[in-house]
Amino acid sequence: MSLDRDVVGELETIVGADHVRTGRGDLEPYARDATPLFRGVPDAVVSPRTAEEVAAVLRLATRTGIPVIPRGAGSNLSAGTLADRGGIVLVLTRMDRILEISPDELLARVEAGVTTAALGEAAAAKGLLYAPDPGSRTVSTVGGNVATCAGGLRGLKYGVTRNYVLGTTAVLPTGEIIRTGGRLWKDVAGYDLTRLLTGSEGTLGVLTEITVALLPMPATTNTGVAYFPTLADAGRAVTAVIGDGIVPATLEFLDAKCIGAVEEYANLGLRLDAGALLLFGDDGAADAVERNLTRIGELCTAHRAMEVTLAADVARSDALLAARRCSLPALSRLGTLTILEDATVPRPRLAEMVGRIDEIAERYDVPIATFGHAGDGNLHPTCVVDRQDDAAIERAHKAFGDVFAAAIGMDGTITGEHGVGAAKLPYLEARLGADQMALLRRIKAAFDPAGILNPGKLGS
Amino acid sequence: MTTDRVTGRGIFDPELLDRCISCGFCLPACPTYAQTLDEGSSPRGRINLMRALETGELDDDDSRLREEASFCLGCRACEPVCPAGVQYGQLLETWRDHQWSGRRRPPLAQLLMLVASRTPLLRAIGVVRRHARTPSVPAAPTTLMLGCFERGLYPGVSRSARALLPDIAVPADQGCCGALHAHNGESERGVELARRLGEQLPGVIVTTAGGCAAHLTTVLGRDRVHELSEHLVKTGASPVGRLSVGGRRARVALQDSCHLRNGMGVFAEPRALISAVADLVAVPGEASCCGAAGTYSLLRPRDSRRILDPKLDAIEAADLDYVVAVNPGCLRQLETGLRRRSSKVRAVHLADLLAAAAGGTPLPRGRRWTLPRIRVPARRAGAARITGGPTA
Repeated sequence: MSLDRDVVGELETIVGADHVRTGRGDLEPYARDATPLFRGVPDAVVSPRTAEEVAAVLRLATRTGIPVIPRGAGSNLSAGTLADRGGIVLVLTRMDRILEISPDELLARVEAGVTTAALGEAAAAKGLLYAPDPGSRTVSTVGGNVATCAGGLRGLKYGVTRNYVLGTTAVLPTGEIIRTGGRLWKDVAGYDLTRLLTGSEGTLGVLTEITVALLPMPATTNTGVAYFPTLADAGRAVTAVIGDGIVPATLEFLDAKCIGAVEEYANLGLRLDAGALLLFGDDGAADAVERNLTRIGELCTAHRAMEVTLAADVARSDALLAARRCSLPALSRLGTLTILEDATVPRPRLAEMVGRIDEIAERYDVPIATFGHAGDGNLHPTCVVDRQDDAAIERAHKAFGDVFAAAIGMDGTITGEHGVGAAKLPYLEARLGADQMALLRRIKAAFDPAGILNPGKLGS
Repeated sequence: MTTDRVTGRGIFDPELLDRCISCGFCLPACPTYAQTLDEGSSPRGRINLMRALETGELDDDDSRLREEASFCLGCRACEPVCPAGVQYGQLLETWRDHQWSGRRRPPLAQLLMLVASRTPLLRAIGVVRRHARTPSVPAAPTTLMLGCFERGLYPGVSRSARALLPDIAVPADQGCCGALHAHNGESERGVELARRLGEQLPGVIVTTAGGCAAHLTTVLGRDRVHELSEHLVKTGASPVGRLSVGGRRARVALQDSCHLRNGMGVFAEPRALISAVADLVAVPGEASCCGAAGTYSLLRPRDSRRILDPKLDAIEAADLDYVVAVNPGCLRQLETGLRRRSSKVRAVHLADLLAAAAGGTPLPRGRRWTLPRIRVPARRAGAARITGGPTA
């Protein structure tokens, strides 16, 4: 299917001919996001520069029934920007102005296409911290982060994207431009549409501008590492740390398979006899950070840690973090297809969940290694197979179906931070139930009566 | 589930294409994506184009496909930031082999490759231009590579390299390394020429061109090829002397050679050597492509200047005396750009800088003859320009 010539002409009038692309070769690069195995070629790629242009495109789409798929950097892992029904991919990367960094009000106002890293740097230049730090922060956009409620490594202490969104400018599918929230920490006038739009995955409105809360930049950060004979020991140590009144900024774990893969790849000198590696870190005033890290080390030792190392300096701290940073690169080299999931369970059940994942992997005969955020129970079971091996891919999908079911059975969820998109929509009802699914659809219809905005995802 | 298998025409090694996990981490590293903010001009987007070419979704004549095969600088800045270890440079070579086959190859690239393949012609140019030369030594442990165009454009570089490495052999009978061919759609010929050069120059080959070093390495292996700065650091040669300007230490910045940095991981070495004889100044963007990119500055002069201009702004704003290149293409690009602005900053090759510091001699003047200037319309309106470099 391709767009009517009149429609293309109208799009060109709205955003300028340079910013509407319909050639076969222009569309192909937008047929995928970062989700493996999903491909859908759009009919047009449109890059607006203002909220008004977005509004005009959406009015046209609502009138003609053409799907519109909002897209930032396309780094999502849920097929959330998949154009599997054709339509217009609306790329917001040209809206990349940082409008304001206010040290007085501790907030920043940015256009949706600003990258997370650019916001972080602009804030840091004024001694401020934008706390959410998703793994893709160098490429991901703030608009995409808000649309997916992106998480990151600092979830336990600092929360996730939703905890920092104060206000948005959003364009509704019917063309109205609304401003939700604003510059206020306290504002209970009306339903909390800011929170509703946060994590709505581009199905309710197109975010064009976002106001986020900033924090004072912590004076120091430091890191330590502990090895445990089993992941269950590491889990008990984490429970003990939090029970002791410490909320560390970083608490990351690698399972034994992950340690093996990282060591094979990067030769960091990791202990291969360990069942789990726990990375812990904190930030704040220097004396408090040192006190907390020392105490965490003691608690790890008390819970059967085989070895505990505290970083002596910043360079050493970076070296310790390298094990975590290398996890995905190391695992992805084991095959040509990497499926990275993010099932999440309550923190105390983390080790139990990893045990279940191992059983499931064995049952389906697929290699799954797990790393993730021990502080908030967010796991990243990662399956690596050969892209040409259909049978293995099929087994991997079945295995992940069981993983999601196991997570739900532990009061957990099918996705902690990646989102539902097209990839996890089939599993959503198991998590939410029929009543909530119906409510989601009614909410979707209230915002988008013509059903043009990112169809086949949330609310479908 | 949508099936998404990349199998088909056998143009690409499926293993290489499959390696890309489409995470997009390459986007911020790509100079051409920064120009357009269009996914199609990014490494991830281009790999998706290659996949579509492989599966037959796009045919060879697709205009965007052809444009992107040529628009890519081939700087490989996407490789060090890739978590999955995609060999983008290799994919690009294969892509251009296919895309630029037969009459589709740019005629200018064809001409340059023809010249570079003619060893007697290179030799004659070299003799006229008086590059460094020693009698042929069959069993020399290290030999200096002269390069194809480098010996004609910058013959002084080989003389400086010889001054720094007095024991090195410099036989005149040597051809082109084939990097030019590999990057312009003739990768088989590129491999053939590299092998032949490997036979002509026994032992360790020292080169003053980062781009040649990276290409030779892929054919002859890492152990047989040293780029000059790498060789000096590996052999423990410590630079002597110091470079002064007006009684103070010279302020010097490095422009990385893309293939040296991204393909071989050599970037600390030239900086260490410069710091030993001058004040090393960090300039924003020094690690990214200058737009020379082999034949790119000749084939796509307008795009090449769009890449270069912000770099020249940064160089002029940094109050430098010299900007050092470790590859002749980058040297020519910087020299031409700085001259066009009548900048007080001079572009020099690392070998010349070190030799001048060691010998207490002034740096050689720029080359005396230039390639014909290709007229390029003025920059786009709206592109920011930092003023501050003094103009004559």
